[in-house]
Amino acid sequence: MKKSILLFGIFLIIMLCLPFFVSGYWLRVLTQTFMFAAIATGSNIIIGYTGYPAFGNIAFFGVGAYVTGVLMTKFEISFLATLPFCALSGFIIAVLLGIPLLRLKGHYFAIATIGVMEAIREIVDNMTDITGGGMGLTLPIMAGEPAYIYKFFYYAIMLIMLFSIAVAFIIWRSKFGYALRAIRIDEDAASVMGINTTVYKTLAWALSAALVGIVGGAYAYWLTYIDPHTAFETTYSVKMFAMILLGGATTVLGPMIGAFILELISEIVWSKFIEIHGMILGALIVFIVLFIPKGLFETFKGGFSLRKIIINLKEYRL
Amino acid sequence: MIIVQILINGLLLGGFYAVIGVGFSLIWGVTNIINLAHGAMALLGAYITFFLFQEYGIDPFLSLPFSFLCLFIFGYILQRFLLNLVVRAQIFMLLILTFGIEIFLVNFMTTFFSADFRSITPEYAGTSFVIGDIVIPYIRLAVFAICIFVTFLLSLFLNKTWHGKAIKATSLDLDAAMMVGISPAKIYALTFAIASGIAGVAGSLLPLTQAFSPSIAGSLTLRAFTVSILGGLGRVEGALIGGILLGIAETLSSYFIGESYKNAITLGIMVLVLVIKPTGLLGKKYFAEVKH
Repeated sequence: MKKSILLFGIFLIIMLCLPFFVSGYWLRVLTQTFMFAAIATGSNIIIGYTGYPAFGNIAFFGVGAYVTGVLMTKFEISFLATLPFCALSGFIIAVLLGIPLLRLKGHYFAIATIGVMEAIREIVDNMTDITGGGMGLTLPIMAGEPAYIYKFFYYAIMLIMLFSIAVAFIIWRSKFGYALRAIRIDEDAASVMGINTTVYKTLAWALSAALVGIVGGAYAYWLTYIDPHTAFETTYSVKMFAMILLGGATTVLGPMIGAFILELISEIVWSKFIEIHGMILGALIVFIVLFIPKGLFETFKGGFSLRKIIINLKEYRL
Repeated sequence: MIIVQILINGLLLGGFYAVIGVGFSLIWGVTNIINLAHGAMALLGAYITFFLFQEYGIDPFLSLPFSFLCLFIFGYILQRFLLNLVVRAQIFMLLILTFGIEIFLVNFMTTFFSADFRSITPEYAGTSFVIGDIVIPYIRLAVFAICIFVTFLLSLFLNKTWHGKAIKATSLDLDAAMMVGISPAKIYALTFAIASGIAGVAGSLLPLTQAFSPSIAGSLTLRAFTVSILGGLGRVEGALIGGILLGIAETLSSYFIGESYKNAITLGIMVLVLVIKPTGLLGKKYFAEVKH
């Protein structure tokens, strides 16, 4: 535990200094990585801790993006003041949907959340008066030099990521987090032990939705243009899941590490194969599921070895 | 009168949805895999038919067996050498795996076949017969007939042949099936192969009734999913009823509420059924669900 905190501290210091040494391109890549790390960490509260595969959690990302977008363009509220609203809207929507949907389990829940995402997308698409519909929404551009703006978003989204990690960490260490893990392992048993599973599950989803919503808000202002397809991007859902899997769903820092590995691989490898980068993403996901299904953390706890990969391959086969 | 026309359109559309859904439902019911690549596999069938028609002038209806065979082989290999390796993992691993396959296939098709919307118009495309005010295109009627025929054949296969019975046995009790000498790995592969083959047939029928491109894979999978939910898992006759219900619900809502809300309404129906009656409208637990 001490060791990982130390490593995280060193990592943090490097990340804080980095903007003064790297080019704008890498600043952007890292900002996007922070963004995915924040999404994955936030979503992991419901996915990894509680064991409910909320496949469509990107819905709240889109909601956050549109809350910021609409509040800034229509009501001229400043960027930072919109973020609490992003969190709040995610929280409220997740509570309202969670009460009926969290009764479903496994596949059913996963697909129902995809359904929710598509439905919200379609509603946003059709509310042309407020959201601009398919034409999208153009946000005011931040004042200042490009270099300054780059750094601003780098630190802002990094701060959001750290906030998500802090929340996830506090939940993990608290009694609440303990209850969530109990629900994942055996929901009926948890209920017998006196955990009000409906309240806990709903709260877990709502918190994760709030965190993802904040990221969405920052994303909208960063890109300054959103439309229903970029805000509710299905590929993001898949990437988020792959990151959580890669890093390990039952850890606090796992999703962040997964995000860094996947995003950096994508920048280094895919940028050379623009045409087929989607195919490589698909193949990479298949590879992760086949060979490191428990995440890097669990798989290589006692050191790296090829044998562990082969054992993994045998474990779940028919 | 318009309402009768809408209902008939819905019914004809529903036949297609049934065929898309029946394979999906079978895979889910037997192997407990949600195959998110189902729509993409159907599109492979669509491209086979499209290219056979465009390059060699082969009638779309004649290419159905070929497209079934191609997807059958593809599905068998996929399950035997890939999905069988992880079939006992947690469900969301399988979800993400099949989603990975979907991304791969969709991008493959976009790269090599382009993202253009395509459709097939054979010479007899415009012909239809008319009763009073109601117009029924022959093509849609033929598609519907084939859909009914395919589901009928599948039902016959599952209930009458040894392999069909083995599939049902495996899904009801894996251990007991192994005890009587059924190899689950082969049966899973066979199930997946048949379901993929049917998806290929459904895909081949697609270009006859609407334009398609790799981008519609997701919405096809969604329809398949909804049909399975409505009809209950692994139930062939359930998929038929579910498909027709979905088709009618979609055409009705397109007419009364608006085309642009079609997906939201489909999803609304699905979530409603899930919450109220998670075992499907026909309401019996079946196949893989019995185990849990």
